[in-house]
Amino acid sequence: MEAGPLPGVGRPDPGPPVDPAVDPSVDPSVHLAGADRSAPVPPVLSPMLSRLAEERATGVLTRDRGVLYLVEGQVVHAESPATPGLDILLTSRGALGSDGWWEAVSEAGAERRVGRFLVDSGRLAAGALELCHLGALYDAAFFTLGASSGPARFRYGVAHWIGPVRPVTVGAVERETLRRRALLHRIWPDPDTDTAELVRTARAVDVVLPPRQRTVLDQVDGERTVSDISRVLGRPGFHTLVDVRRLAAAGIVTTRARTVECRAPETTAPPMSPAPSVSTVTAQAAQAAQASADPDVALLRRLRDALEAL
Amino acid sequence: MTNTETALKETLASIEGATGAALVDYTTGMALGTIGGSKSFDLTVAAAGNTDVVRAKIRTMEHLGLKGEIEDILITLSDQYHLIRLIKGRGGNGLFLYLVLDAKRANLAMARHQLKKIESDLEV
Repeated sequence: MEAGPLPGVGRPDPGPPVDPAVDPSVDPSVHLAGADRSAPVPPVLSPMLSRLAEERATGVLTRDRGVLYLVEGQVVHAESPATPGLDILLTSRGALGSDGWWEAVSEAGAERRVGRFLVDSGRLAAGALELCHLGALYDAAFFTLGASSGPARFRYGVAHWIGPVRPVTVGAVERETLRRRALLHRIWPDPDTDTAELVRTARAVDVVLPPRQRTVLDQVDGERTVSDISRVLGRPGFHTLVDVRRLAAAGIVTTRARTVECRAPETTAPPMSPAPSVSTVTAQAAQAAQASADPDVALLRRLRDALEAL
Repeated sequence: MTNTETALKETLASIEGATGAALVDYTTGMALGTIGGSKSFDLTVAAAGNTDVVRAKIRTMEHLGLKGEIEDILITLSDQYHLIRLIKGRGGNGLFLYLVLDAKRANLAMARHQLKKIESDLEV
């Protein structure tokens, strides 16, 4: 395939200025996700990130679950090992052939303008790149800004090869991350399924599952985690988190560790199974459940969790 | 070939009676872009809330075993129309365009027609 002409060289511009809504009546300006609205300031997720935004820093912020690239204090790109990157999202759905992707990377990677090259060479519509990139940015930022993250470090002056697509403010990224956490919590308050190996429970699928959830369920094999499934399906990691929490809420999926823990009391140690230390309370509960007609400890546990979450 | 910003601007400019529009990812409920709206009508809140409308409708159709796909959803208020148009994103995320219309000025048939055209221009 022939490579398209190289776009005119110029300094990557940081995108259009962001204008906060000022008029109380109809506001004619376009707000792309990330444009700073005059909304209440969210609790700070990362003091370091806020400081970098204030000083309009350019470089890359590395945390233990991912990286955020900044240009003049705005987030321009994010990546996390917990979720598929833009390359997988674009190629696995057929939006772009993987040849087209790699050609763009080799043609324009050194100049750090792969995004522009994809559009200018006609491989991808500007809207498609923008939305896909924006989706991937918020997705990776959600994981990068995860609560369990350890210390962060920042390297000044580092830029990503994708180049400028659509910068968003740090405030918008933080707000969206918090909103997404709340959304997950509302669906099912137990975060265990977010990172652990997943298994199907014995519960029959007695409800009509939406196709998206069914596709996710088909990938649950006792080994894969949410991020493995996202990569197999070429879906943003957060989308899979949502589907898996819904499946957990319906009692169809749980973590492998939890099923091992639940089964332990009723067995007299089969040779292959690990011997988990089960508290006497759990053991008693399990025995009580066995004594009754329906030994569904998982159900009781879910009920307890749900009541606690009220 | 249009980018999101242009598509949203065109939505507001070309559709008679349109007062606001949002492009929404319906798995997360995040508005990827908004135009119009006001202090008293927060489009990002509307975007997140209408995600539940879309989800509920899709679920109901599955329960009923209906095979057709939703093209759009219309909600009529006494003074406004809300039009939701589902779009298939090529990056693997389902999107919808959410349009707020002033009932006194809008022509629904025209609005639906225009929205369809904008969707095809957007090529998301």
